[in-house]
Amino acid sequence: MKPARLPITLLLLAGILPAQQVKWNFDKLAARASDSTEVSLDGALLQLGAKFLSDDDKDQAKIKKLVGGLKGIYIKTFEFKKPGEYSASDVEPFRAPLHNPEWQRIVGTHSNEDGESVEVYIKNDSKGIGGLVIISTAPKELTLVNIVGAVDLDSLSELGKHFDFPQVEVEKKK
Amino acid sequence: MNLEDELRSALRRQEASPDFTERVLARVAAAPVRRAPRVSQPWIRWVAAVAAALLLAAGGLEYRDYRGERAKDQVLLAVRIAGSKLNKAQRKVHMLAHRSNS
Amino acid sequence: MPRRASAPAAGFDFAGLVRQHQAMVFSIAWHMLRDRAVAEELAQDVFLSLHQHLAEMESPEHVQFWLRRVTSNRALDVARRRQRRPMVSLENAPEPVALTPTGDPLLGTALKKLVAALPEKSRAIVVLRYQEDLDPAEIARVLGIPVGTVKSQLQRALALLREKLSRSLGEIGI
Repeated sequence: MKPARLPITLLLLAGILPAQQVKWNFDKLAARASDSTEVSLDGALLQLGAKFLSDDDKDQAKIKKLVGGLKGIYIKTFEFKKPGEYSASDVEPFRAPLHNPEWQRIVGTHSNEDGESVEVYIKNDSKGIGGLVIISTAPKELTLVNIVGAVDLDSLSELGKHFDFPQVEVEKKK
Repeated sequence: MNLEDELRSALRRQEASPDFTERVLARVAAAPVRRAPRVSQPWIRWVAAVAAALLLAAGGLEYRDYRGERAKDQVLLAVRIAGSKLNKAQRKVHMLAHRSNS
Repeated sequence: MPRRASAPAAGFDFAGLVRQHQAMVFSIAWHMLRDRAVAEELAQDVFLSLHQHLAEMESPEHVQFWLRRVTSNRALDVARRRQRRPMVSLENAPEPVALTPTGDPLLGTALKKLVAALPEKSRAIVVLRYQEDLDPAEIARVLGIPVGTVKSQLQRALALLREKLSRSLGEIGI
């Protein structure tokens, strides 16, 4: 039976070690995906990478500051050949760990234009925000993001805006 | 017909527009200059050069640089993906808030 | 860990670097995106970034590596976003001037269109392999992916291209 179409981008943080916050199993989706991208940065790798960021580049300097307080960043993106190759029921197991009371869903959006949905969850601890999960779904892509540590959401969002190259998407005459 | 040869032929480099270099230089001239701080005392540069040469000869710097550069690329990729998704959600929320206020 | 020494920017003639590498940078973007205006914009942005990072460049080989990596990654980003919002019909994409026109132009055009229709990562691998003549290990370093992934994706891409081309043009020798 063909699964129902769902635009979803799922930010998935798979955590096997306690530092990763949540434990996800990607095997089922990996078998169906045509391609996948993974980023797995524990605290040591994050700090190593941060050392090589340039202080002279405004964006890199901001990223250096952003990752300074983080303990890990874990991202998994699945790409599928055509829409409908994964369904809502495939995504539900990734939401399950986020039903714990320490997690709070702060945003849930959906775009009819491109069929993409984004959910944002934060983890509350005694010091404030202790983690971030983003789940993004689109017809042919599923992205899962898990950030461990005190995340500055505004800085992260602002950097995302810079990296999106909006000027390249607009047709220009030179 | 050999597919790989045909691909090499089809994907040969193409020239950008004739005034491409001039346009890049014009943008550079208009952008603020950013330079890494220079070490002013010649003896410090000499010591740094010798130290760098020794480390390069040992291969240690090259490997640490390679690992560090790889880690940096992964950090940039991670922030790009996460930031892009977060920004998308934020823009949608702002748009909805704007609509409900108008 | 000590910060590595950076080469003086005065050792590089920036305008010379632009003239030397403009075809490479533009062509990677063009073959990835098949939109001349967007490819030129992206290429300009890449050189602007190079200018900002010139002090970090250690050798001409480093410059070339850096340019290939940044151009490929940015083109991949744009290609992924444009997948959902195509700007230019591939049928209408004008052909820029080839450095040394050769081969069957009809076959060449057909191949370029088939390459442009590949999934983005496969497309980048094919472009780096056949435009830049990089081996799989070099492609893996440029794109920051495992060499095994490069080899398997390259094989699949060639098989796909062979199949699609043979359907329209008959038998192809390898």
